[in-house]
Amino acid sequence: MTTAVRNIEASIVILIAGSLVSLLFARWRKLCGWVSFAIVCASSVCTGLAVVRTFAAASDERTILSLPQLGSRLSLRIDPLSAIFLAIVAVIALLSALYSVRYMEHYAHDSVAKFFPILLLCIASMTGVLVCTDFLFFLIFWESMTLTSYFLVTFETENAASQRAGLKYFIITHGATLCMVAAALLVWRTSGSFAFDAIRQSLSALLVAQPLLAHTIIFLFFLGFATKAGVLPMGDWLPDAHPVAPSGMSAILSGALVKLGIYGLLRVFCSFVVAPASLKGWGIVLALAGTGSLFVGTLTALRQTDTKRLMAFHTIGQIGYICLGLGVGTYCLGTHPALATIALAGTILHAINHACFKSCLFLGAGSVLYRTGNRDMDQLGGLAHSMPFTTGTTAIASLSIAGVPPLNGFASKWLIIAACLLTGMRFPLFLLLGLIALFISLATLASFLKVLASVFLGKADESRAVEEVPISMIVPQVTLAALCVLLGIFPQLVLRFVGRAIEGVTAMPLTGVGAPGMWSGLQIIDGSAVGFWSPIAILAALAVLALLSYAIQRAGGAQSRSVPVWYCGEEHTPSTVRYPASSLYLPFKHAFQGIYPSGRIPVPRFPASLRRALDFDRWLYTPSVKAIDRTADRVSRTHVGIPQIYLLWIVIGAIVVTGILLWLRT
Amino acid sequence: MTAWLFKVFLLCLLNVAVALLLAPLCEGLMRKLRAAIHSRIGPPITQPYWDLLKLLGKEDLRSTRGSVYAAMPALTLGSALLLSALIPLAGMRAPLAFAGDLIVVLYVATISGVLIMLVGFASASPYASIGSSREMMMLLSVEPILAVALTVGAFKAKTLTLGGIINWQVQNGPSISMAIGGVAFFLALQAVAGKLPFDIAEADQEIMGGSLVEQSGPRLALFRWAMWVKQLVLALLLVQVFFPWPHFGIPPVDLVTTAVKVLLVLILVAVIDVVNPRLRIDQAMGYFMRVGVSSLAALAFAVIGK
Repeated sequence: MTTAVRNIEASIVILIAGSLVSLLFARWRKLCGWVSFAIVCASSVCTGLAVVRTFAAASDERTILSLPQLGSRLSLRIDPLSAIFLAIVAVIALLSALYSVRYMEHYAHDSVAKFFPILLLCIASMTGVLVCTDFLFFLIFWESMTLTSYFLVTFETENAASQRAGLKYFIITHGATLCMVAAALLVWRTSGSFAFDAIRQSLSALLVAQPLLAHTIIFLFFLGFATKAGVLPMGDWLPDAHPVAPSGMSAILSGALVKLGIYGLLRVFCSFVVAPASLKGWGIVLALAGTGSLFVGTLTALRQTDTKRLMAFHTIGQIGYICLGLGVGTYCLGTHPALATIALAGTILHAINHACFKSCLFLGAGSVLYRTGNRDMDQLGGLAHSMPFTTGTTAIASLSIAGVPPLNGFASKWLIIAACLLTGMRFPLFLLLGLIALFISLATLASFLKVLASVFLGKADESRAVEEVPISMIVPQVTLAALCVLLGIFPQLVLRFVGRAIEGVTAMPLTGVGAPGMWSGLQIIDGSAVGFWSPIAILAALAVLALLSYAIQRAGGAQSRSVPVWYCGEEHTPSTVRYPASSLYLPFKHAFQGIYPSGRIPVPRFPASLRRALDFDRWLYTPSVKAIDRTADRVSRTHVGIPQIYLLWIVIGAIVVTGILLWLRT
Repeated sequence: MTAWLFKVFLLCLLNVAVALLLAPLCEGLMRKLRAAIHSRIGPPITQPYWDLLKLLGKEDLRSTRGSVYAAMPALTLGSALLLSALIPLAGMRAPLAFAGDLIVVLYVATISGVLIMLVGFASASPYASIGSSREMMMLLSVEPILAVALTVGAFKAKTLTLGGIINWQVQNGPSISMAIGGVAFFLALQAVAGKLPFDIAEADQEIMGGSLVEQSGPRLALFRWAMWVKQLVLALLLVQVFFPWPHFGIPPVDLVTTAVKVLLVLILVAVIDVVNPRLRIDQAMGYFMRVGVSSLAALAFAVIGK
């Protein structure tokens, strides 16, 4: 009999064994890519089966290894929440692996042996993190995920920027892991077990007995997970690390890996903490952290001119939305169950949607980089005609991240903002946070209009011929863009499973969001139905009205003609009059200068005496070599090449030897 | 089910027809008023209709190829009309109220502006790019004010539906917070309608119409029409949410009173337009920043129950 847990085991084993296999093929770049893709395919199918089985039947638990002395055992369990994140990891990993097959040609000087095997290990550890029910093994998988992703970020060994970003990532995330280890050990000291269930029980006991200790533990967990998720200010590693990784990896980092931080936060705040009073305080902390990072992250993104760096800052912004939703949900968890479910549904839905559009955006930026070798928006332009698929998918994903209805980003932002406003009616602080979230979604739009305008729209320089990327790179982008549209029009499809996940974690059914029928879409229920969003009705109305407008446009029977751009009678080439990305929204950018404080950390100098002490060459090797050399030199001076002198030496030697022998005899 | 769909369709049609057909008339009235203040005779009130008619027959010169670019004008006008179906014409319930609450209205209200900006960027003219960039900055400074004003209503009525807010207003009468919200919304309306002193994005004398500099013929007609529709519909939203009195409960009478109030609002907009010179973009942004912060006072009043 196969169960969901067996499928996941198979998936992890396939990936780990597969990484060795792909290492064997590393000499042939393309073949290695395809082999790795096949392995990810197999593992994703297993993970997919596990997800389907989890939703079809009750989850089971399987213990593989037990360490009773430590109070720990490696046991795997899949509940609906982990199933949703497993689905994200499986889909994003599959598409990124397919994309990377051809994309890795971009790095001609670096061996793919440094990429594909490690990528497979990274996916395996992400899968492992999601199915562990024990903190010790959770941390082991977590750490291997951090390490493998570090090696993928620093893939370009010759590139100083990527090495530096990798080092920053390494240091900050290990600080975070340290916090989590400390938290786990503090809980272990009281309960003697690392199991999640035991942590929940001992934490709720501690909240009554030793509130200070309990809140310290929660704070340490928060620091650890929020750092990985990229919540500012701990997420400062993210805008450096995401752009320098190969684009397939950037998509996994932003689409799946940072989501695991959100998964951890959801686990900690929705199922570990049970006291309503402390939930309220932590809800406000989470919401403020989320609002801070969506505000600062997005407005900083607006200033960037490097496509991938801009998108990395938007990851901070969007994670801010997720964290805000989580905060509202946590705040309401004890007192207003309906509102809590609205906010949590928005949180999980936004995590899913963000995986779709942000991965698509990173892949799009990767395609542009692959064909033009450039990430600087000031130097790009007019790619729409030469790269229609990349342009189309990036445009859909851009509008989606900006929350333009009826794409998927809107549905989840709508839930989060509605939850903020409704909670704000009880506690007005959230009203303000909801309004900031609304404003920032417009700033996101501004930022992505800039990307579209300066990379894809406008006229291209005639001198540079660019063509569309190969089909294996188009397919992942089109799939993700299609998901953006599909999940936007039918949010009910996912919401059912999100509801199961919320019920699994908080033991509360999804009472806040109703989906009464196809035409009426989603309803927000707070006592009575107070909010409505029906994508199908809106889309149908828009389609009819646009057709009507088109009929009006054609009514006069006007002829159309292609003409050159009119530069007020002067002759210019497109490149000389292009309005560059760095000039867009300049007054607005000036208004928010310095919002992202950046200071150079002085690198501590290596003590000179220690350097000298460690320098064996200097005080051991070189002096002894020189001494030996000198001695040999002196000895060789006796060899003058005249036989008479040699004979003389022999005679003198014989006399001396005879003398010594005689002396010894007496 | 079919009967219900049919009813929704007819009501939508009414809203859309009113917005589509009366928008040019309002613009004509505003032009006439501007001429009167300038001591000119001015064009006849029906002039915008003739303008549209003439443009629909003119040759369509395109600087950019592509089917998405070709579909932009229809989508723009379509989304402006969609907004009209989300806002109640008279009474409490918009035809598409079951499909969108005030958050949806706020997002849908930006779509037509976004499409015009995209057209500007796509048309490859530097003037259009500057126009689109300015339009985006204006949107960034104005949209939060609309959001704050509508949120005050939502807070008061404890619902996110426009109908619920209007209903609460009719039941409870005027309040300080809603009045402040209404004033803030009105100040923002001036910029959303693209009137002086905030027509920075079009600024005919500097950047020759901004985003639409490369548009001509039927395309230009549709973009113009979309802007007029949006101006009318947002004035309607202002009147309906913030000044719904007197409410008689008889649809035809309410329709007439609403029309009169909308006209008053638009006349006020036109007067401000005539007597002001254009601001620079940074001045406008600073102004709306202050308006936005002051409009938070409405929220504060609402919280203390005024």
